[in-house]
Amino acid sequence: MTEFLRMHWEANVNWDLNRSFLEGGSMGGWLPKTKWWAISAFLVFHLVAIACWCLPIDNRLILGCRAVVRPYFRWSGLFQSWDMFAPIPKVANTRVEAIVEYKDGSTELWTFPRMEQLGFREKLFKERYRKFAENLQREENDPLLPDVARHIARIESTPSRPVKMVVLVQDWSAIVLRSDGSYEPGPWEQHVLLGYGVRSEDLR
Amino acid sequence: MRLMSLVSGWNKFFFAPQSPEPIAVFRILYGLMVLATLLLLRPDWLNWYGPHAWVSFSTVRSLEPGTRLNVLSILPETDGWMEAFFWVFLGSAVLLTVGLLTRINAILVFVCLASIQQRNLLITHGGDTFLRLAGFFLMFAPAGAAFSIDRLIRVRVRKESVNIQPQAPWAQRMIQVQLAVMYFSAFLWKVKGASWVQGTAPFYVYHLDELRRFPLPSWMFHAWVLKIGSWSALALEFSLGVLIWVKRLRYPLLALGALFHLWLEYSLNVPLFQWDILSAYVLFVDPKDVRHAIEWMRLRKLNRVSVE
Repeated sequence: MTEFLRMHWEANVNWDLNRSFLEGGSMGGWLPKTKWWAISAFLVFHLVAIACWCLPIDNRLILGCRAVVRPYFRWSGLFQSWDMFAPIPKVANTRVEAIVEYKDGSTELWTFPRMEQLGFREKLFKERYRKFAENLQREENDPLLPDVARHIARIESTPSRPVKMVVLVQDWSAIVLRSDGSYEPGPWEQHVLLGYGVRSEDLR
Repeated sequence: MRLMSLVSGWNKFFFAPQSPEPIAVFRILYGLMVLATLLLLRPDWLNWYGPHAWVSFSTVRSLEPGTRLNVLSILPETDGWMEAFFWVFLGSAVLLTVGLLTRINAILVFVCLASIQQRNLLITHGGDTFLRLAGFFLMFAPAGAAFSIDRLIRVRVRKESVNIQPQAPWAQRMIQVQLAVMYFSAFLWKVKGASWVQGTAPFYVYHLDELRRFPLPSWMFHAWVLKIGSWSALALEFSLGVLIWVKRLRYPLLALGALFHLWLEYSLNVPLFQWDILSAYVLFVDPKDVRHAIEWMRLRKLNRVSVE
C-alpha cells in the first residue's frame, strides 16, 4: 500500500509539480523544487496559525494551536485581534481625568485631550490620547497607572509649585436606549482608578 | 486525483506568475500610510516612546513579557536616539514609497513599525495592526518590480527588460488572506454579541462622544435604520471575508466595502484606520485593470500637458 502511494505520488503529483510548476528551475514562472517546498511550508504554517489566532472559536484544537504559535506571533508582531466594537460595543461614554494636588495645598483638574472638544485637525493628531485613555480604563492595564500619574506630575510640576499627589479618576455616563428608540445620557459618575503620592525622584 | 487538483489549485493561487503592478501600487499606498501615521505622531514621538514617555519601557516589558522584535529595546534610552530612530524610520518609509532599495526598506519599515507598536501597544488601533501585518508579508513581495526607482535603474543598466516581468504572487496573496481574515474575524466577533444581531449596536457606537466626527442626520437613529445598518455591517464583513474570493462578486463587494469605510470615515473619528484598510483593496484588483487604470491616468496627464 505504502509502495503504491509512493508510486502514485511520483507518477502523478510529483510529476505534475515538476512538469507544470517547477519546470525551468527559475522564478520566470516556475519555482525550483526546494524553494517551492520551503515557501509552501511557510504559507501553510502562517495560514493555519493566523486562522487559529484570530478566529474567536475556542475549541481545544484551536486553543492548542494558539499556545504553540504564541511565542512566535508575539516575537514577530503577527498577533492580532479584530474585535472592534464587539462582541458588544461600549455602552457608556467615559473619560479619564486627574485631580492634581500641589504641595501648597491647591488642586487642579487635569484632563486628557477630549476629542469632542477638538477641531478636525487637532483630532487627527490627538486621537492616540483617546485610545490611550480608553485602554487605561481596562482592569488588566492597572499596572500602567502609576506611570501615568508620574507623567502627569512631571507635566504639572514647576520648581516653585511641585505636585504632591495625583488622583486618576474615571468618569462615565451610560448611553441609555429608551423604549421609544431615543437617546438619554445617564448621569456622570466617578470611579477612582488610582491615588498616587508623588516622590521627589518622580519629578526628575 | 484530489491531491493533484489541490496541489494544482494551490500552485495556481500562490505561484502562477502575474504582473507585480498591484503589489507595487500597494507598496506606494502602504508607504504613504506609514508616512501619514508617523507624521501624525510627530508631535508626540517622545511622549509615547521616549525615555520619559507616558508608560516606561520597563512597565511595558512587565505587562507584555517575552522576547519581542523591538529595535528600541537595544537602543540607548535617550531623546536623541529616539529622534534618530524616527528619522531613519521616516526616511525608510519615503524610500519604500518611491521604491529605492525596496526590499531593504520594506524590512526596515516593518521592523521599525513592529518596534514602536511593541513599545506602546496602548495607542494602536486596527489600522496600525493591519499595517504591521501587511508589512510582514510585504517584505517577501516583489514590491519593487514595478513603479519603482529600483526598476528604472535596472532597466537603464539593462539588467531588466522594459516589459514588466510576471512574478509569483504568494506574498500578495497572504496580504489578501490577512485582509479577508480580518473581515471574517470581525464578523464572528460581532455575531457573538446580542446587540449586533438585534441591531442596536450602531446606536451605542454613534453615541460615543469621543468617536463622533461629523454630524449624523436624525433619521439614522430610527430603530429600523439602525437594524439595517447593523445587519448590513455583518453581511458585508462576512462577504468581504468569504465571498471576496468569488471572482464575479469581487468588484461589487470592493465597491460596497469602499462605501462602508468611507461612511465610517465620515461618521467616526479613528484617523487613518479606513485608509489603512482601503489601501489593500488594490491587491484584489485584476492586474489587467490596474494596468488599464494606470494607462488611463498617463493618457489623461499627457492630454493635459499637450493642451497646456
